[in-house]
Amino acid sequence: MNQEFFKKFEGKFTKIIENKPRKRYYFNVKNEDIREVADYLFNNMGCRLSICTATEVYDGLEVLYHFSDDKTGTFYNPRVKTGLKNPEINSIVSITEGANWIEREMYDLFGIKFTGHPDLKKLLTFENPHFKETDHPMRLKRDKDK
Amino acid sequence: MSKCRIPLGPFHPLLEEAEFFDIKVEGEKVVDIEMETGWMHRGHEKLSESMSYTQSIFLVERICGICSTSHPFALVNAIEDIDDIQIPERAKYIRVLIGEIERIHSHLLWLGLAGHFIGYDTLWMWCWKYREPILQLSELVSGNRNHYAMMRVGGVGRDFDNATIPKYHKVLDDLEKQMIMLAGAAKDDPVLRSRLKGVGILTKEDAINYCANGPTARASGVDIDVRRDDPTAYEVVDVNVITLPHGDVYDKLVVRVLEVIDSVKIMRQCLKAFPKVGGPVLNPVKEISPGEGCGRYEAPRGEVFHYIRSDGTNRPLRHKVRAPSFSNIPTYKASCVGIPLADALITLAAVDPCYCCTERTIRTTDVNNKKVDAELLSLSRAKTEKIRKSIMKNDKSPIDRIFDKA
Repeated sequence: MNQEFFKKFEGKFTKIIENKPRKRYYFNVKNEDIREVADYLFNNMGCRLSICTATEVYDGLEVLYHFSDDKTGTFYNPRVKTGLKNPEINSIVSITEGANWIEREMYDLFGIKFTGHPDLKKLLTFENPHFKETDHPMRLKRDKDK
Repeated sequence: MSKCRIPLGPFHPLLEEAEFFDIKVEGEKVVDIEMETGWMHRGHEKLSESMSYTQSIFLVERICGICSTSHPFALVNAIEDIDDIQIPERAKYIRVLIGEIERIHSHLLWLGLAGHFIGYDTLWMWCWKYREPILQLSELVSGNRNHYAMMRVGGVGRDFDNATIPKYHKVLDDLEKQMIMLAGAAKDDPVLRSRLKGVGILTKEDAINYCANGPTARASGVDIDVRRDDPTAYEVVDVNVITLPHGDVYDKLVVRVLEVIDSVKIMRQCLKAFPKVGGPVLNPVKEISPGEGCGRYEAPRGEVFHYIRSDGTNRPLRHKVRAPSFSNIPTYKASCVGIPLADALITLAAVDPCYCCTERTIRTTDVNNKKVDAELLSLSRAKTEKIRKSIMKNDKSPIDRIFDKA
């Protein structure tokens, strides 16, 4: 574990899960802190953004960032949660251009809006006649009456 | 000078997964490029959530015909990551052998197509001829020339037959000689050098900023390779990570040629180990605990990434797949701008996106909305021919020059 990194953000991370033999770290971060955390991981620690995973869970939507520290083979996975209605998360495209397409994909498939994204338009179902602007195919179809 | 907009795609030989490129040119110079994707999206992530883990392995094998062991390799890594499942030593060597067979045939395929695009059809036919025995090796180890179906959670599905080792050695000996000859040709051929050197440069800063991976990043001087950085089966062999500094198409070609030679060495290490390492090739795994795991593997094109979230059932709750081209294709924004249109084709091909071999035309619309049909492939080939002629002219023998003057 990179002690310096976890010490710097002490109190800001919750639910730290450590998979020690495989060098994976999962931790929760608040939306207002994700840019600072991503900036530190990318610019200070030289990590590469492998990808982000959006998932619809019971009480909302979450985005899991996979930052790969290639020098040590470690994965740092900050997780940001947002609500089901009007999901919004801060964009990290200003930190790394590599986040551009994946944020567009998450907006497309899950409808998560990324605040500060330079060109937030659909990536996969852009101008697709089968999908409306409001359709997000990876969202669960919950019963609205319940 | 007036700007032209060149819509390229979505169906063209450059990319197997269809892509649309909106290229803006000023005269011959590319001034901007936009990419659109989504034509080949088949919903693998959603499909996988309705399948068992074992079924998902065969599903992701069909994401790509060339990377048909890379996706299952990354997926089993992700599933094994959840419970820290260890695999037998012999299974590690078999996984490495399959992975390297795939790397060699993928790189040779790319080298051949790169030659074809710039009008070097001899290179194309050589490379594809050298690739054929490698495909036969994959049939020898797995029973299939493609879609090997070897990966299982906890090991591999089929044992390696030690009696076939001499056949491998023969093919590898031949391939090594051929690759050294190809490396020499790339080094000495003045046409190839002038056609590819300094073309489509992706700087190290841009490669890092765009999070490029695989040979695309390594040719720009970024020293990354999942086989060395996060080995899951590769800790049993020595991997030599090849990096070059310039980031142009020529460096991307040389990286791939040298990687083939390195892959031959890795395969030899496996063949040496097989008679000594016995035992089972599969650890039985009954169930996967609730949790999450990240698996990755260095495919020929770059890092393949799979994420699995398990809830304790036999199906994944969430399965995220990321192919290397997803990160490498956006680098066109950095590498294509400022280069001539004739070089755009080979620059788009240089990151090795999946492409097929259909002939294609492009439609150019000028400012007056007048449509002009042109072939990008013939533009690229014409440039090579021009360089070849000018070099031949300068390389004339003294007697020829005397005759010319006379």
